[in-house]
Amino acid sequence: MNVRFLYPVVVLALLGILFSLANTPNMVTHTLPVSQHDIAQMESSSFTVMMDVLTHQRCMNCHPNDDIPKQGDDRHPHYFGMARGINDKGFQATNCHTCHQSVNNKNSGVPGAPHWALAPASMGWEGLTRTEIAGRLLNRETNGNKSHEELIEHMTKDELVLWAWDPGVNANGVQRTLPPVSKEDFKKAVVDWFANGAVIPTK
Amino acid sequence: MKISFIINGMSKIIDVEDENTPLLYIIRDVLDLKGTKFGCGKAACGACTLHVNNEAVRSCSYPVKFAEGKEIITIEGLGNRAKPHPVQQAWIEEIVPQCGYCQPGFIMATAALLNKVPRPTDKDIDNNIINICRCGTYYRMRKAIHRAAELSAESSSTSFKITD
Amino acid sequence: MATNKNSNKGVSRRKFLVKGGLGTLGVLAVGTYIFRNPIRRGILGKVNSLEMPYTDNTDKPMIWFEITSDNFIRLHSPKMEMGQGTFTGIAQMAADELSIAMHRIKVVHAASSTGNVDSFATGGSTSISGLWQPLRELSAMLRTMLLKEASHKLNLDIDQLIVEDGTIIGKGKQLTFAQVADGVDEWVVPDSPVLKDIKDYKYVGKPVPRIDLEDKVFGDPIFGMDAQMPNMLYGAVVRSSKIGSVFVSADSTTAEKMPGVVKIIHEADFVAVVANSMIEAENAKNAIEVIWESYDNLNTKDIVEIMTVGNGSSTIIQKKGKALKEKDNSLTMEFRTPIGAHAQIEPNGVVAFVKDGKAIIKISTQVVGLTRKEVAQRLDLDVEQVIVEPTFLGGGFGRRLHTPHAVQAALMSKAVGRPVKYFFSRKEEFQHDMFRPPTHHVISGNLNEEGLLNVLEHEFVSGDVGNDSALIPGFLPPIIGADIGAIRGGFIQYTGIPNFRSVYWHVDLPFATSWWRSLGLLANTFAMESFMDEMAIRAQMNAVEFRLRQIADDPIGIRLKNVINAVTDKAKYSENIVEGRAMGLAASIDANTPCAQIAEVSIVNHEIVVHKVTVAMDPGLAVNPDQIRAQCEGCVIMGISAVLYEQMFVENGELAPTIYGPYKMALMKNAPKEIDVVLLQGKDTPGAVGEPPLGPIGAAIANAVRRLTGERLTQLPLKLPKYI
Repeated sequence: MNVRFLYPVVVLALLGILFSLANTPNMVTHTLPVSQHDIAQMESSSFTVMMDVLTHQRCMNCHPNDDIPKQGDDRHPHYFGMARGINDKGFQATNCHTCHQSVNNKNSGVPGAPHWALAPASMGWEGLTRTEIAGRLLNRETNGNKSHEELIEHMTKDELVLWAWDPGVNANGVQRTLPPVSKEDFKKAVVDWFANGAVIPTK
Repeated sequence: MKISFIINGMSKIIDVEDENTPLLYIIRDVLDLKGTKFGCGKAACGACTLHVNNEAVRSCSYPVKFAEGKEIITIEGLGNRAKPHPVQQAWIEEIVPQCGYCQPGFIMATAALLNKVPRPTDKDIDNNIINICRCGTYYRMRKAIHRAAELSAESSSTSFKITD
Repeated sequence: MATNKNSNKGVSRRKFLVKGGLGTLGVLAVGTYIFRNPIRRGILGKVNSLEMPYTDNTDKPMIWFEITSDNFIRLHSPKMEMGQGTFTGIAQMAADELSIAMHRIKVVHAASSTGNVDSFATGGSTSISGLWQPLRELSAMLRTMLLKEASHKLNLDIDQLIVEDGTIIGKGKQLTFAQVADGVDEWVVPDSPVLKDIKDYKYVGKPVPRIDLEDKVFGDPIFGMDAQMPNMLYGAVVRSSKIGSVFVSADSTTAEKMPGVVKIIHEADFVAVVANSMIEAENAKNAIEVIWESYDNLNTKDIVEIMTVGNGSSTIIQKKGKALKEKDNSLTMEFRTPIGAHAQIEPNGVVAFVKDGKAIIKISTQVVGLTRKEVAQRLDLDVEQVIVEPTFLGGGFGRRLHTPHAVQAALMSKAVGRPVKYFFSRKEEFQHDMFRPPTHHVISGNLNEEGLLNVLEHEFVSGDVGNDSALIPGFLPPIIGADIGAIRGGFIQYTGIPNFRSVYWHVDLPFATSWWRSLGLLANTFAMESFMDEMAIRAQMNAVEFRLRQIADDPIGIRLKNVINAVTDKAKYSENIVEGRAMGLAASIDANTPCAQIAEVSIVNHEIVVHKVTVAMDPGLAVNPDQIRAQCEGCVIMGISAVLYEQMFVENGELAPTIYGPYKMALMKNAPKEIDVVLLQGKDTPGAVGEPPLGPIGAAIANAVRRLTGERLTQLPLKLPKYI
C-alpha cells in the first residue's frame, strides 16, 4: 500500500490506454484519479475505462431513454422516425431488420450485427451519469435479471456489444468512429471491475 | 459462389463472384426483374423494398448471400393484371401513382404491413410506411392502404364463405 | 406537312414507314404542326403569365399516330410523362376527336427518329395547354382522312358514314380504322379539319383513370433506369465533391487493374470508367486520383452573404405609380429561402450506344431535342444520326432539363464500342444537382387611411434559374434583363394598389442553380403572401378582405378573386384559433393559373403540423379533373416538404447532405390527412396545372403559424423559435 510504489503502475496504465488510442480518430485523454486507496484506484480505473466505452456514441446510440435510436457521432435521432416499437426491434412491418442485417453493409453503409435491436427501455442510459448507468447495469430489475457472470458474458462476448469495435462505414463510405478504448482493454476492464466487486465509485 | 432461392415462386440458382453483392442488383441486372427500383443504394428511400420470407427488406442493403434458401417476392410476383394483389387493386382504385418510380417499394411495404396488421390505423401507417415519394402521393396512398385492408378482409372472408 | 401551307398535299405512307422503321401493318402517319418559337416573342411583362404552345422542332415529317392492324392507335407523344398525367390527357383529347375508345389508344414517348421532337421542353406546366389545339386538330385531321378513304373504299358519301369506336359505319357496312388504312399509299390531307363541339366529348372533362396506372402498379420496366441493350457495360464518371471544381488531371493507374474494368476514358473535361457491372465501375471510379481546382472554404454563410438584395445588378420588372420615398409608417420585412434539391427518386442516367457514326440514347429527359443536339455536337454527328428514345421519368421536377450525362455516356460507349449504362449515385445526385436557388426578399409597404396598401415594393435576389440554361437562347437574358425563371411569382398581383414595383437582383453563385418545379414561384409567393398577411394584421382587416379589395378587376384579377372566395368558402376560413388549430391563407398566379390555399395548422411537440389544406384553382378547362386534383395534392405535399424540411448546406466547399434522411423530406406522417380541391373554370381552354399549386403553400402555413403563435417566420424551412 505504498502510493509511491504504485504510482508508476498507474502511469503505465495511462500510457497503455493512450497507446491504444493512438490509432483511433478521436483521442480522449484520461485522467485517472489519484486516491489514497490503491485498490479503489484500480477499480476506479477499470470503471472509468468501462464507462468511457458505455457512454460512447457507439454504445449509447442504442441505449436511448426516449425510445428513439440515435445515429452518428452527433447522436441525432434515427432518420425516418424509426423508434423502439415492438420488442425493441421497430415497428410491425418496418423494423430494424428491414435495413439492418447481421453484418455491416459496405455498399449501403448500413451497420449490422446479430440481433440488431435497441437495448431494452430499462437499460436506457441516455442522459444518466456514469454512476447511474452502473446502477442500472447491476440492478437485476433493470438489466434483464442478469447475474454478474451473465453481465460479463454479455459485455465481453455479445456480438452486438462488440460491434462497437467493428462499426463499418457510413453512407458516405467513411469509417465510423471507434470507442476510445480498445476492445481488449474494455473486456479486461469489465472483467477487472467485476472481479474487484463491481464497486461503483462515489464522488 | 452459388446461391439458390425461390423468387416469385420460381427456384433460381445464381452464380456470384461477390456474395455481398446487394440482392437488388442481382434481381435487376441478373434476373432482369426491373420492378424493384434503385433509388439511393443506402436503404434510405425504400424504392427497393421487396419481401424475403414475407418480411419487408430493403434489397439495396441486403447481401445476396442472406437470400440462400429463402423465398423472395418482388412487385412482379405480388400480383398481376389478371390477379392483382389487394394492395395493387387499391392503388388502381385510388389512382395513386404519379411518376410511379417509388410505387413498387411502397406497395411492397404496404403488403408487408397488411401481413402483420390487417387493419392498420393511421398511426400504424405513419410508423411503418416510411419510404419517400417525391411526387407527394402520400395522401392517396393512405386512402389506398385503408382500401387495401378492406379488400383483403373481403377476399379472406369470401374464401371462408360456404357457397349457398 | 398537313398544315404546312408550303408542303405538297398528300403524304406518302411508305415514306414514313421507312423513316420511322416501323414494321406494323396499316401504319399511318400524320405530319407536322408548326408554331413559331414563342420564346422569341417573349416579352418581359408577359413572361409571368406565359402559356407556351407546343413547339415542334423542324418542318420535316413527323409521326404522331400509328394505326396498328388490331385497330389500336399508337400516339407518339412529344411531351414526356413524368407523373403529371400528360399521357392520359392527350389520350383523352385524341380519343374524343378520333371517335375511338380510350383503351384503344396507347401513348408512347416519341423517339427523335419519329421526327416528333419538342424543340423546347416538357416543363413549365405547358404540355396539355400547349397540345390542346394542335393535337385535337391532328386527331380531327386523321379522322377526316380516314373518313374520306372509307368513303372511297365503301363507295359511300362521307355524309352517310359515322365513326364509332374506331370503326367507320354506313349503310350496314363497316371498316375499322386499320382496315381503312390498309394498303393506302396516298392520303388526301384536309386543309382545315373541323373540331367537335367540346360538349360532345366523352373523355375530355371527365376524371378518367391514368392510362399508365397498371404499368406503374405492376412494376413494368418503363423508366430510364430500366433501359438496357444487349452486350451492355456500365459506366461511372469521377466527380468532385467540391463546389466549382475544374478538372485538371487524373491518375488511373490503380483503377485500370481493378476487377471488371474494361476501360478508363480520359476526356478533356472528365475521366470515366467503363466496367462489367455497376459496382465494379463504382469501385474503380473511387480508385482514380483526380486533381481538381476548387473552392475549399465556402460555407452556407458565404452563400447567404452573396445572396442579399443590393448585391449584383438589378432590373425593375414591374412598376406603377411612385416609389416608397419615406420609410415612415411603413413596414419592411426580409425573407429568405434556402438551396433546394430536386431529390427525385430515379437518379439521372442514360443508356448510350454509339457505333458507325450513329448514336442511340435511351434516357429520362425533359429535353429530347436538347439532349440530341448536345450529343451530336460533342460527338460531331449529324443531329439526325442521334436517336433519342425517351422513357418514362422517375420524377422530373425540372431536374431533367439538363442531360450532359448523355454526352458522357455517349463518349464512353464510343470508346468501347458497346452500349454503356451510366447512372448517378445518390451522393452525386445531391452534390451535382442543378439546385433550386436560394433567395432573399426585401418587401416594404405602407397603408393609407382606409387600411389598404398605398405602396408595395418587392425587391428580391435569386440564383439563376433560366439564365444559364441551354434551353434559353443566349441572346434573351441580356434583352429582358431578368431571369425568366427566377421572376416567376415575383410580380405584384394586387394591382389595385396605386403604387408598386418589383425589382429583381441578379448575382452569380459558385454552384449551378436552375429549374426546380414552379421556379421562383415557391420562394416569391412565400415572401409576398407572408407580407400581405402581416399588413392585413396591421390594417386590422380580415386577410381575405384585405386581399380582395386590392386586386384589380381585370380578367386575371377576377379569376384570382374567384379562387380566393372559393377557397374561403370551402375551408370556412376563420381567423380564430379553434382547438389549437389556426388557418392561413395565401394565393398566387402562375402561368395564368390562379390558385389559393388555406392551411390548417397546429403545433404538436414543438413541430408544425399541417392537418388540412384546401385548394381552389382555376386552370381553365379541366381536361382531367382527377389528375388536376392529383397535381394539387402532389404540389401541396411537395410544397410542405420544401417549406418545412428541405435545405441544402454548403460546408467547407461541399454541398451537403448527400442522402435522404439528413436531407429531410416530408414522409407519409407529414402529409395532411385532408386535402380538399375545388376547381374553377375561368377560361375555356386548358391552362397550367403542374406548378401553380406550389405557390401558396409556404405562406399559407406561415400565416397560420403567425396566428397560432404570434411569430412571423421569415425563413424557409419554417422553424419555430425554441421557446414555442
